[in-house]
Amino acid sequence: MSTNQWLATGNFNTAYQQEQRNFLTHLDRSIFSIFLILLYVWIPLMDLSNKYMLVVDNILIAIVAVMGLNLVTGFAGLISIGHAAFVGIGAYTVASFCQVIGDRHIIITHFWPVMIVISGFVGAAFGAVVGLPALRLKHLYLAIATLSFQMIFQWVINFMSFFNQGQTIFVGRVFWFTGKVGRKDHYMFWYFVILTIVVILGFGIRNLLKTKYGRCLVAVRDNDRAADAMGMNPGLTKVYAFALAGFFAGVAGALHAYVYRGVGFESFTLHESVGYLAMAIVGGLGTLNGSFWGPTALKYLDLQVEHLSEVAGQYLPSTMNLSTAMKPFTFGLVIVLFLMFEPRGIANWWRIAKSYTKLWPFRY
Amino acid sequence: MSYFFQIVVSGMVVGSIYALAALGLVLVYKSSRVANFAHGQIIAAGAFITFYLTTTVGIPIFFSFLASMVITFFLAMSVERIFLRRLIGEPIISVIMVTIGLASIIDGLIYLTPFGTENFSFPPFLPQDPLSLGGVSISWTQLVGMIITFIMIGGFSWFFKKSTVGISMRAVSDDQFGSMSVGISVPRVFGLAWATAGLSAAAAGCIIGNITGLNFDTLHAFGIVVFPVVILGGLDSILGAVVAGIIMGLIQQFASGYLDGNWGLNGTGDVMPYVILLIILLFKPHGLFGIHEIERV
Repeated sequence: MSTNQWLATGNFNTAYQQEQRNFLTHLDRSIFSIFLILLYVWIPLMDLSNKYMLVVDNILIAIVAVMGLNLVTGFAGLISIGHAAFVGIGAYTVASFCQVIGDRHIIITHFWPVMIVISGFVGAAFGAVVGLPALRLKHLYLAIATLSFQMIFQWVINFMSFFNQGQTIFVGRVFWFTGKVGRKDHYMFWYFVILTIVVILGFGIRNLLKTKYGRCLVAVRDNDRAADAMGMNPGLTKVYAFALAGFFAGVAGALHAYVYRGVGFESFTLHESVGYLAMAIVGGLGTLNGSFWGPTALKYLDLQVEHLSEVAGQYLPSTMNLSTAMKPFTFGLVIVLFLMFEPRGIANWWRIAKSYTKLWPFRY
Repeated sequence: MSYFFQIVVSGMVVGSIYALAALGLVLVYKSSRVANFAHGQIIAAGAFITFYLTTTVGIPIFFSFLASMVITFFLAMSVERIFLRRLIGEPIISVIMVTIGLASIIDGLIYLTPFGTENFSFPPFLPQDPLSLGGVSISWTQLVGMIITFIMIGGFSWFFKKSTVGISMRAVSDDQFGSMSVGISVPRVFGLAWATAGLSAAAAGCIIGNITGLNFDTLHAFGIVVFPVVILGGLDSILGAVVAGIIMGLIQQFASGYLDGNWGLNGTGDVMPYVILLIILLFKPHGLFGIHEIERV
């Protein structure tokens, strides 16, 4: 190719194959590689305490879940207010294995990658079933249908003694080639595992969106009847979008179960569902990198708010529980401000920054 | 048999509360096509304002009831003006999320006050001993609450059918451009719809607060459980909201009256509305009285 592979200032594609590449320029590829290497090296070098490692792990788990939510809500345009329930199904798949074969069984501790994949597929199966109303419903009606799935899920978990009625079900420590992963390395180990999974799934989504199936999702979002007229199958696409989201959520749920070494119902409530939706929106609906920005931004905000309210709480009467008040307040404020002033999310800032540096020093 | 009638009566009471709570949601949806997820928080705010005015300020409860309706009227109107006016024409997900964000903000504000975590109850102002009719008993608060509910629903129906403002609201819900062309201020109608919804939410909050006691979690949970009701009734029909509210109340009371305790079940009253909702959505997606939308490519 004749164009500059390092500092291209525009798109000079001459064939469709060129558009299918993962990285458009060498610069893109090297920036991405350096960033990825930094992620693998930098965090361990930081030597964070377990408390902060847990936050980092949490962010990564949320990224996996939000990638799924972004597929169904961002790309396919089907609003899901029940995503935490799908995450819960993933986690409770691991938990029910623990209940049946014991939480230190070799399948749980040694074959945990298999468990994660199984949870993903169970999540996908539930996603497809819950997606069935999407064949007839749209917009708000569909959102309420997923909401009712969330409520039914919560009730079932709280009701069934098999699931310990929502109390914590323990999951054993896992083994790696080096032996049992101990208390000290636990979060670090899972950081690397989840980061790897995020990279794999991220490339998976990126490639999916370049195929027929990915484009189907976007076409159905924009106008399902027009998509129908052009020979796609909107019903199947919608169910399949829900199944995909269920898969991602299932994987995230299994990871959650392993990282926390236990499954309790309070991590999968309606409040968490709303949180995932907020992360997807703050990151930018219908963008892949939005799924990374959103969870990072909101979880970091949560951490800072907690710090701030701890500091401010010293100057206030002890009857006021500032932390419980500040969390929902800032959370709501961030959502509302983003929707009012930047509805396309942080991904839009990223896009602007990218196009600015691409053309620099010229304005356009 | 009296057990059966007792359940019917309590179902009617719960159902009429649902109807009143659903009314606010329907009012907003009917004119501006916004599903208000913050409705439960407005209900709670209305109840707490009434309680504050009654106990701390010392106004007789009837007047504080009216005062809180007036306050939430303007509160909801300003919410519409500040947050939702900008989002007219935005995709539905943005609108839903803004109301969820609003709910979260109001949550935060209420958690700052003692109302967020503690339990209160209204000072009793009605006879305490329940009214008994042939083995079926109903407390005075429930009876008065039900009567107020039906008066308010009747008033709203009249307002929509006969008054000029109500007719212009219906016109806006039918066709925004058409109503603009005959001189209706669409943003003003949206504001009014929110304001009337706030008013009905305050009324619902007071009645619920009188019956169940003032607990923030119980009160704002009504904002979610009301969705099965409005979907069953068909989102934009007041009659639908009333009928569906009573049906849901009866279903809930029958479920917790007859299913709980048998076969090891419990708490079925909480989940039944959602199960019914899923079934309804599968077979009759637009509810009992909803309008079938015709889509064109």
